[in-house]
Amino acid sequence: MPNMVVHEAGPQTTVQDLGRRGALRAGIPPSGPMDREAFLLANRLVGNADDAAALECTLIGPRIEFADARWVAVTGADMAATLNGRDMPRWAGFAVEAGDVLRLAPARSGVRAYVAVSGGIDTPPALGSRSTYLRGCLGGFEGRALRRGDRLPLGPASGGGPAAVREEMIPDYTAEPTVRVVLGPQDDRFSSHGIAALFDGPYEMTQQSDRMGARLRGARIEHTRGHDIISDGVPMGGIQVVGDGQPIVLLADRQSTGGYTKIGAVCSFDIGRVCQVRPGQRLRFRRVSVAEAHEFLRAYRKELDEAIAFP
Amino acid sequence: MGIYAEPRFLPCGDLALSVELGDDINREVNARVLALEYLIQRTPLAGVTETVPSYRSLLVYYDPLAIGWDALTASLQDLWLRARPEVLPPARTVEIPCCYAPDLGFELEAAAAKIDLPPDEMARLHASADYYVYFVGFTPGLPYMTGMPERLTIPRLDQPRTKTPPGSVSIGGIQCCIYSVESPGGFWVLGRTPLRLYDPAAAEPSLLRAGDHVRFHMIDRAEFDAIAAAVAEGRYAPRIRQA
Repeated sequence: MPNMVVHEAGPQTTVQDLGRRGALRAGIPPSGPMDREAFLLANRLVGNADDAAALECTLIGPRIEFADARWVAVTGADMAATLNGRDMPRWAGFAVEAGDVLRLAPARSGVRAYVAVSGGIDTPPALGSRSTYLRGCLGGFEGRALRRGDRLPLGPASGGGPAAVREEMIPDYTAEPTVRVVLGPQDDRFSSHGIAALFDGPYEMTQQSDRMGARLRGARIEHTRGHDIISDGVPMGGIQVVGDGQPIVLLADRQSTGGYTKIGAVCSFDIGRVCQVRPGQRLRFRRVSVAEAHEFLRAYRKELDEAIAFP
Repeated sequence: MGIYAEPRFLPCGDLALSVELGDDINREVNARVLALEYLIQRTPLAGVTETVPSYRSLLVYYDPLAIGWDALTASLQDLWLRARPEVLPPARTVEIPCCYAPDLGFELEAAAAKIDLPPDEMARLHASADYYVYFVGFTPGLPYMTGMPERLTIPRLDQPRTKTPPGSVSIGGIQCCIYSVESPGGFWVLGRTPLRLYDPAAAEPSLLRAGDHVRFHMIDRAEFDAIAAAVAEGRYAPRIRQA
């Protein structure tokens, strides 16, 4: 079976596809890429379907050897890519041959990079998805992050070509992002000062952030009647505020339900930007209505469909 | 108090909304949540991608490019009118073997002293009740249950443990909980089940589902070891009855 070999894994490199659907009611989160946009573009660059499995690399990239000819694309966090020591472009497809070794350096900006390979990673799906859920030891490669010596099976190589993401679509992860938020479901549990604080910002990313949630630090978000609620479902991007008044944005590997107030939720099209903010870096929130969010989503999907320039 | 006259539709970002049906925790409002979810699945409602029930609300994930807010809430409102417990299929009763031996139920003795009961009597009372699963959540396979005898009401631990073994059957307040994965915990551990509440290798990885009934079956240490071995080898079939 065609494969690629992991020579060095990096601190947390996992197999992800678009995520698991339908398991939240059993307490199992969707998982999937933290930055869906960078992930999708990597797949599209190498001619894969959007839901093909690729690698998510965290802060430090892996070193990988290929066993056959493929197209490869690296997107997301700014990890300098070299093939057999030669610099390779990011946000663009390039060809590799059997025996070639791809290395990703530590990220200069951003947190998560994606490596897509034509044909996709062909680990066995678990509950309909190849996404790795680390805490639940589910999916991906043996339900865990990659280690040195792992051999990742690949699907039959199909498409690919020297396509590139348009320059203006490549994000600058050193900039302070403003992400859009819809208020609810428990915004009525916060004072007007509390809501104003969230949107006045900025909030700083802390070290206690992972695939489950991003813990932020900034102006206190004031409750009116305490922070406990009757436990309910936790949406993707939900902004949970506990007793200390500090927000936690709940992400791909989040708990399915929880008992703390959620003042709002980050819109799907901006969640990837949250996931590229490094500890110590800051971000801001901007309030939008549901109707506005849906208009932004429409425009965003169109923009994404036009992001790649095919030769 | 209780069930709202009309459902509340609460935004949860651009891809989800919460349908809240009442303002407290009881079987009646939870049955309506589960009935609403069942009707959505059976219809099925175009554009709805996933649902997550909890005590008194249903989180509905949707694709706004397939169905807008107004159309979705109108459809949910229609289904809500029919969302009565009678529409649900018969509930399952899952039998969960539980060993109350001191090395597994390592807080049974202390808990019994705290509420002034002999440990044997506490275990017997705990195992005698009919429990109902409101929903499964927080961690994979973790049931939120009701039905514990009031006599067993106990304050939570002053100092939460950092690790609780999976399968630990435990109580706190008027709640009974079975830890599904190793996790921190503030409940008193009375016993342990050899069954896996979460099994990532299983076709259905959560043993329990929202709406299930649970009966504990007291087993001794030898039975615990035998069942644990059978579970590890994949040759144990849990006893599940459909009412």
